[in-house]
Amino acid sequence: MFRKILVAHDGSDGAQKAMAAAIDLASHYGAELSLISVIEELPKYAATLDEVQEVQAEAIRHYEAIQREASRQAAQRGVKAYDQILPGHEVQTIVEYAEQGGFDLLVVGRQGHSARWLKHLGSTSSQITFRAPCTVMVVA
Amino acid sequence: MEQTWPVAAEWVALALMASVLAIRIRISVALMEIFVGVLAGNFLGLTTMPWIDFLAGFGAIVLTFLAGAEIEPEVMKRYFKEAISIGVISFLAPFLGAMAYAYYVAGWTLQAAQIAGIALSTTSVAVVYAVMLETGLNNTPLGKTILAACFITDLGTVVALGILFANYNAWLAVFLGVTAVTLVILPRLSRWVFARAGNPVSEPEVKYVFLILFALGGLAAMARSEAVLPAYLVGLVLAGTFLDNKVLVQRMRSTAFSMLTPFYFIKAGLYVSLPAVLSGAGLIAILFLVKTGCKVVGVWPLARAFRFGRRENWYTTMLMSTGLTFGSISALFGLTHGYITQAQYTILVTVVIATAVVPTLIAQAFFQPSRGGAMGSAPAPEALGGTVPVRATEQASD
Repeated sequence: MFRKILVAHDGSDGAQKAMAAAIDLASHYGAELSLISVIEELPKYAATLDEVQEVQAEAIRHYEAIQREASRQAAQRGVKAYDQILPGHEVQTIVEYAEQGGFDLLVVGRQGHSARWLKHLGSTSSQITFRAPCTVMVVA
Repeated sequence: MEQTWPVAAEWVALALMASVLAIRIRISVALMEIFVGVLAGNFLGLTTMPWIDFLAGFGAIVLTFLAGAEIEPEVMKRYFKEAISIGVISFLAPFLGAMAYAYYVAGWTLQAAQIAGIALSTTSVAVVYAVMLETGLNNTPLGKTILAACFITDLGTVVALGILFANYNAWLAVFLGVTAVTLVILPRLSRWVFARAGNPVSEPEVKYVFLILFALGGLAAMARSEAVLPAYLVGLVLAGTFLDNKVLVQRMRSTAFSMLTPFYFIKAGLYVSLPAVLSGAGLIAILFLVKTGCKVVGVWPLARAFRFGRRENWYTTMLMSTGLTFGSISALFGLTHGYITQAQYTILVTVVIATAVVPTLIAQAFFQPSRGGAMGSAPAPEALGGTVPVRATEQASD
């Protein structure tokens, strides 16, 4: 049923549960599994390029560690995982990536790191569910 | 002397507060330091002292040097034609437009109008870069062209700042002559120095760069020019050398951001008068429109001539309308040299900050090209002389 699965992973507990569910599905359907982490921490209206690049480099190191662990878990189930780290707005970036990559399932955790800021505005998972071009599975 | 340490503690506390706020709300530390300076100047009665003025001036010089050193020489060579065209017009149009409005309509003195023109001519490389990073455009020909053009615009700004107010006497000739010779020999000399210095804890390479900046800055001061002019030029000529010395750049940046630039940006915010913001709100809005309008008039047709797509054209124009660092440096130069009043300074810095925020929001909301700039109405790669590289590689994990 699913051939290409995308998991949004920000290292939160919700994302880890989503990852576990996605690995399970990918293993069951023999689907291709991809991880995406979005760097939202870039400083706005910076004074120097260095300030932006330093924050980006730090964020990449952070997400690479998260994705390495996630990929290791996938490999244990015989699933090959593709990694992607992109800067941008979390919802927009994930939705665009899902569309451009032709994914047929997007798996997200119900609450990520951004939830405490977006609690009253609608969570990231809600916005992704509304805008995604494919089936969305929200893991609680 | 007994006041020095409490004052230092006060300023560093403000800098620390700005850093924490910047991390929490993901706004640049520079903008937060200006904001903290505004609050401190208007509600705490904070003032500067000579040693603070020195550190702030030093911070501006190092900031300008680092800005020049961020250029990628290969990118500039590759997209030179487009970058120089867009960059020059991006500087000239708002410089002339803002100066004309300030002089003929707002009734400012000629020197105050010149400061207004310079402060509102700038483009913020860092703001543009961060915006493009979010869409992956920084690695596309479009993105690299825009970034290269930003450097040209800022070069125009520092040259204008260094030349318009200088005394045209022997000292200026000496300053220009020594600077020209220094710029020619500096890349080779610096490579020799860095190769022999090693990486001792005494940081001789950093001291070497500071010596050059201080020496040329001193000559600039003798000529009543501005020390940021040689600092930017030195940064530009050493940019290629620093590609192989990233650690040195990081060390200089650490020194600058921890001990120098906070004093500069807090001081920049200190002189912003909130009552003047309110009373000058109309002029602030008009000057904002003048700057943005002039950028549109200058950049949009040129970008169209280079066959940018419609969306990319407006995106480029809006990003070229941003400004922050050089705009505030220019305005503070004008205030400290008595060319503009505090009210005029307030108006200019407020416009500069507004141009860091509003055009960015407009560009992102209405004209953001597709990710990677390779889809939709983006210009064909061959129109910009290069191919569209992959921005982020996918790595299969086994």
